[in-house]
This record gives sequence, structure tokens and C-alpha cells, in this order.
Amino acid sequence: MNPRTWHLAGLVLGLLAATPGGLLAQAPPPIKRTVESYTVPDVTLVNQDGAKVKLKAMLESGEPVIVDFIFGTCTTICPVLSAGYANLQAKLPPGAPKVHLVSISIDPENDTPKVMRDYLKRYRARPGWDFFTGQREDIDKAMRAFNAYIPNKMSHYPLTLIRDPKTGKWIRIFGLMSSSEFVAECRKVGIL
Amino acid sequence: MKAKPKTVAGLPADKALALGERMYREGILPSGEPMQSVVSGDVPVAGTAFTCVSCHVRSGLGTFEGGVVTLPTNGTKLGRTRYRKYPNLSPEERKSLRVQTPAARPPYTDASLAHVLRTGLDPGGRELNPVMPRYDLKDPDMAILVHYLWSLSAQLSPGVDTTTLRVATVITDEVSAEDQEAMLVPMNNFVARHNAHASVFGTRMYMSIGGQEMRGAYRKLALSVWRLKGPSDTWASQLGAHLAKEPVFALLGGISYGDWKPIHTFCESRRLPCLFPITDFPVISDTDWYTQYFSKGYFQEGQAAARYLRGLEDPAPASRVLQIIQDGPEGRDLSAGFRETWQELGAGAVKEIRLGQGETVSLASLRTMLQQEKPTAVLLWTAAGTFDALDGLADEVDRPGVVIMSSRQLGTKLYALPEKARAFTWITYPYRDPKDEPAVSRYANSLLAGLSRHKPETRISTRTYALLQLFQAGLIEMDRNVYRDNLLDRLGMQRDHILPDFLRLSFGPGQRYASKGCYLMQLSPGPEPKLVRKSEWVVH
Ligand code: HEC
Repeated sequence: MNPRTWHLAGLVLGLLAATPGGLLAQAPPPIKRTVESYTVPDVTLVNQDGAKVKLKAMLESGEPVIVDFIFGTCTTICPVLSAGYANLQAKLPPGAPKVHLVSISIDPENDTPKVMRDYLKRYRARPGWDFFTGQREDIDKAMRAFNAYIPNKMSHYPLTLIRDPKTGKWIRIFGLMSSSEFVAECRKVGIL
Repeated sequence: MKAKPKTVAGLPADKALALGERMYREGILPSGEPMQSVVSGDVPVAGTAFTCVSCHVRSGLGTFEGGVVTLPTNGTKLGRTRYRKYPNLSPEERKSLRVQTPAARPPYTDASLAHVLRTGLDPGGRELNPVMPRYDLKDPDMAILVHYLWSLSAQLSPGVDTTTLRVATVITDEVSAEDQEAMLVPMNNFVARHNAHASVFGTRMYMSIGGQEMRGAYRKLALSVWRLKGPSDTWASQLGAHLAKEPVFALLGGISYGDWKPIHTFCESRRLPCLFPITDFPVISDTDWYTQYFSKGYFQEGQAAARYLRGLEDPAPASRVLQIIQDGPEGRDLSAGFRETWQELGAGAVKEIRLGQGETVSLASLRTMLQQEKPTAVLLWTAAGTFDALDGLADEVDRPGVVIMSSRQLGTKLYALPEKARAFTWITYPYRDPKDEPAVSRYANSLLAGLSRHKPETRISTRTYALLQLFQAGLIEMDRNVYRDNLLDRLGMQRDHILPDFLRLSFGPGQRYASKGCYLMQLSPGPEPKLVRKSEWVVH
């Protein structure tokens, strides 16, 4: 955004006001599963230890990888997605192939390496789950590449992307999965 | 509201309330163990990962995110029948609706609340979305949590009645009349306009999708000015006296040249929101709740300097770092921001030299400091008095490769930085690049009407304009749920705002410093130097 004037105040704002519980029916959103091909952008992100990492090389290294988009202070969706990651890690048997769990911040200005370290600690993340921040344009590129771009982080949605190491295609899962659904998806691509 | 019991699970009610609050906010059981729950049907979660507050937020009024509605779980709402349409109407108003809509569920009781938390079945027989975890709590723990929920946002906060919402702004006595005016004129204009709208639009001021409901949300504003006098250790008692005499819902803006801490601490202890005070010396805290700042002030400039220096491709300049710190709060916060960030980045030790009060730096004294420490980079946290020394330093062969200074500390003298020093001197600049600053909108200009002298360089009236915009957004989204914590919750859910001064203001539950950025700039050569951006707005 690069407005020529500061936005106008007043009555217009009221149109955006929404009260939780006011608008939508409360059926759990259905889970939508598709198989997609994505071109991962060649951007450099920063992980929770402050290390710079090339996203494309990391995601396309051939090891099993799962991606989601979250942020440190997000309510409802990210906690549940992250509980799913933590639970999957706990379920991986000792001899299972390594899967790399990748969380990409959609609030890169606030999510500093320290904020991300603290977040992972809260979920008792084990090695193999990394959280990435970066320059806003690079994050936007990553979101766009996965058809997950949202201009306003508060309106983001739950998405899990599982890369099939054999075909290089991505299983795109829209919605919040139960543990057994998540495990079943992983099995289908030979993770677990 | 339910009648207050004397004891809960065998504990005095206030003790139970504190334990219930800990369950709600920290996910810790009265025993000290983490709460356990199951989310999404079969995913076990410990309370230390997330708990009620992570979804229902602090006020209990819930959120709407990613297609998931997290319903309110505060006392008032739980005690009433829930309706999908116009959920905020009072029972009387609902009776007057032309078309009656069916209830989504009856009011909760202690027993049905315990039941829904354990099983996810509400008293209307609906099974809740599995995103709402199931909590298998023991009876006494459940009683404590339920007791807390009944008390949560159960009564409108102080400072509000059916027609008026009262706020105050704090001014400390060293602030010049001119600077006071730069804040008070736009504030008074805003309040006058807000209140005039009421007589034109009646209570339909905030039209919205829930327009029906917003009628009851609209209140006139009353603004008090609280002037604090004398030493800052007496401010808390002065504030206490003001608050007792004139209960307010929140503090709006406010201005002081010194540390905001005494006011911050007061607000924290009284659970009183303080929105966007005009200060460069905020309290830096990850956990405090009640004061929402524009930025971390000087601290943030020091922080940006550390991240920038540490992130340079060439590691040489960062190898030996010296901070030269002029006496005073500016130097204190700039150097603290640098030091703490440098340590957090694991970048090793920082040498520091503190100048005495009023001590100036000559070329000779600067040389001595540099010969002792042999730094590769110098954080020169001083005012423009060191420019001559810096000019002399330019010709020395073994001078440090990088010098960093603060634009805010230099003030308008910034552009007098000697030409010879410009190539190796970086400036922290916590505002939008001046060449990208958008024109002042007609609306903003109209709020400044009556200001006798506009001094844009103080950024007081522009910050006031920004805080009024944000306050208004918070008021609207608070709807008629006029609870102090709800105002802060709704501000925490704002989308990014593009307003004067700061490149971007961003929000999030619990985030308390809206501007996260600070550029590193250099000055271009020539007689009319311009700022040239050397970094991104946010560097990690
Ligand atoms: C991961 C997010 C999340 C957490 C954590 C969570 N909730 Fe919920 N809660 C929800 C959602 C979403 C709903 C709405 C479900 C629906 O409408 O189907 C809900 C609904 C409720 C309801 C029903 C409200 C009504 O009007 O019927 C109550 C009561 C409740 N939650 C209390 C709690 C308490 C107490 C805690 C902590 C012990 C908690 N919740 C933790 C997400 C959460």
C-alpha cells in the first residue's frame, strides 16, 4: 500500500465492524483437499535462530516437508495448527523418515527470531520444526506462490501444505485437521 | 449477572477468582499443573501451549478469524440467551424487533457451562466446532473456572454510562504551551465533531452491518485534561486522586518529555487503558497490557542499529563495538536498545563509555577514547555537539569504519552533519522516509483547525491525529461491549494502518508497540543533503 493521503476517518469505518458471532453460521468449516503444483520463489528467510535460509532450496531438497502460515500472536487458527504440528512430531516413531515442519510468519515485523523461539518453546517443538520470518515482500512472495496471499493477517485462513517427495506436488489442505486425518495424509505421501 | 457466592470450591471467592483468571490466561490449574485439553477431535494440548485467552481473548468477547467464530465467553453473554442475528441487543430491544429470530441457545447455568466445557454440547443441544477444545476438569477446578467466567466482562467498566464515555489525557507540567496545544486542539476538535454527529445522526452514528445494534453502542465523549505537577514520584497519587474524582474509561494520548513509566505503572495497577501516549520514553515490556504505544521510542533506534550492524554482509565493522553515551534518558534508552539486542543476537560484548553530565566531546577526547578501545564501529549516542570532532575524525586513517547516530537525538541539527563524515556515518531514523510522506488529508487538516502554529517537526499533532483514528476504530469495533479490556482486544485485531510519521502501524493480540521499524539512513553529499535509505524498515 502506498496511499497518497492518509485514509479517511469516520463513518466508512463502521462498515467494517463485525461482531464475533454476529455474521456466520457456526458449522465447522469443511476440509478441502486438492493436489497442486507450486513454484517456490527464490527468497531468503530468517529462522528462529537468526540464520538466513533459502526457501526454494530448503523446500525442494527432496526430504519430506510440510508448510503452514502462522504468526506469533495469532488467535484460534494458529494455536490449533501448531498443536497439530506438535502432536505430529510426538507421534513420529523413532525410525520414521525425517519430516521438516515449516511455519512461515505472516506477521514478519513482529515475529523476530526471539518471538519465534518463544513460540516454538510454548509448543515444545522438537528439532525439525522451524519458524521463518523475513522481509515483508519476500513473505508476500511466498504466500502468493502457495496461493495463500492475504493483505490483512487478521483474515488469514487455516492451510496445511504437504509436499509429496516422490512427485514434487503439494497436497493443499484447507481447514483444521484432526490428528488422525493429519497422520493419514502423511501416510499417503510416505511420511510416517 | 449472577449473585456473588462467598466461597467457591471451598476457597474465598476472590482467591478463586485469581485462580480462575490464571486458568483462563495461563492455562495453569489451581494445583500448578498445566490444564489438559483435546482439540480438533483428538489432538491433546497442554495449557502451556494455549488456553482460553488464546482464542476468546482477554475480555472474553471472542474473535472472528479464518472463518472461525470464537464465541464470547464473558459473564454477560453466557447469562443471556444467544441469538445469531443481532447478538448484542438487550432483551428489551429484541422485543421491539419486527421479525423475531430463533434463539441459538438458552442462557447457561453453572451445570450447563461445565457440561459444554467437558463435552462441547451446549444447552441448546448443538455440538460445538472441534476447534473449541474439550476440557475434562475435576469438579473443584471446573467450579473455579466457571466462577471466573461469570465475572469476566460482566459489568460495563468505570467511566461509561448509557450516554457518555469519559476519557482523560495526561499532561506533565514541563510540556510547553505550544506542544500542549498541538495535542489538545485536534483532540478537542475530534470530540466536538464526534458529539455533534450525535445530534445529527442520533444514535445511528456508527452504521454497520450490525447497524441495528450500533445504535446502542454510540456514546458521546467527554474529555478531561489531567495535569500532573511536581516530581514524578508524586504522579501516581495525583493520578489516583483524579481517577477517584472523575472515573474515566481510558487515557487517550497524553504528553510528557520524560519517562512515561510512572503513568504506565499506574495504568497497569488500575487496569486502565492508556492509548498511544506521545512519548519517546515508553516502558519496554513483553507482558504489560494496559498501555499501547506507537513505538519503543529511542530504545527501538538502538535496537535497529544493532540488527543492522549485525546483519551486514561484511562482518568486520561489527567485530569491536563501542557505545559512547551522553548523559540523559535518550542515551540511556538508545544504548539499552543496542546492548540488549546485541546480546540477544549473540554478538558478544559491547564496550561503553559514559560521558559525564554536560561533558562535550572534542576531537582530542574522542581520539583518546578510540585509541583505548580501537573499535571498528562506534555508536555515538550524543547530540550534535560532537559534529566538530566527527569532522576531524574523517581524516584519520585508523578511525572506525562505521559511526551510528540517532536522528531523534540530533533533532533538526541532523542536516548539519559535516560533509566529510557523511560517508561513514549512519543515522537511525524511526519515521517514514520524508520523501514518501503522503500529503495531509483534508480530514486531518480540518482536525488541526485553530492550531495557532503548526510545527510538523515535533510530530505531536500528526501523532495525535493517528491516535484519534485508532481510538475511533477501537470504539466502533468495541460495539456496545464497553469493557476496558475489550477496547484493547479490538485494537489488537486492527488491520495494518497507514498513518502519518511511521511507515506502518501493525497490531496483534498483546502487541503493544505498533510501529516495528526504523531505517538506517545516510546523508547525501552536497550543500543540501537529503536522507538516503540504507536499510529496510524492519531488519531482523
Ligand atoms: C483453540 C481455540 C479455543 C480455545 C483454546 C478455547 N475456546 Fe472456547 N470456543 C472456541 C470456539 C471456536 C467456539 C465456538 C464454537 C462453535 O460455535 O461451534 C468456542 C465456544 C466456547 C463456549 C460456548 C459459548 C456459547 O455461547 O455457547 C464457551 C463457554 C467457551 N468456548 C469457553 C472456553 C473456555 C472457558 C476456554 C478455556 C478453558 C476455551 N473456551 C478455550 C475456541 C476456543
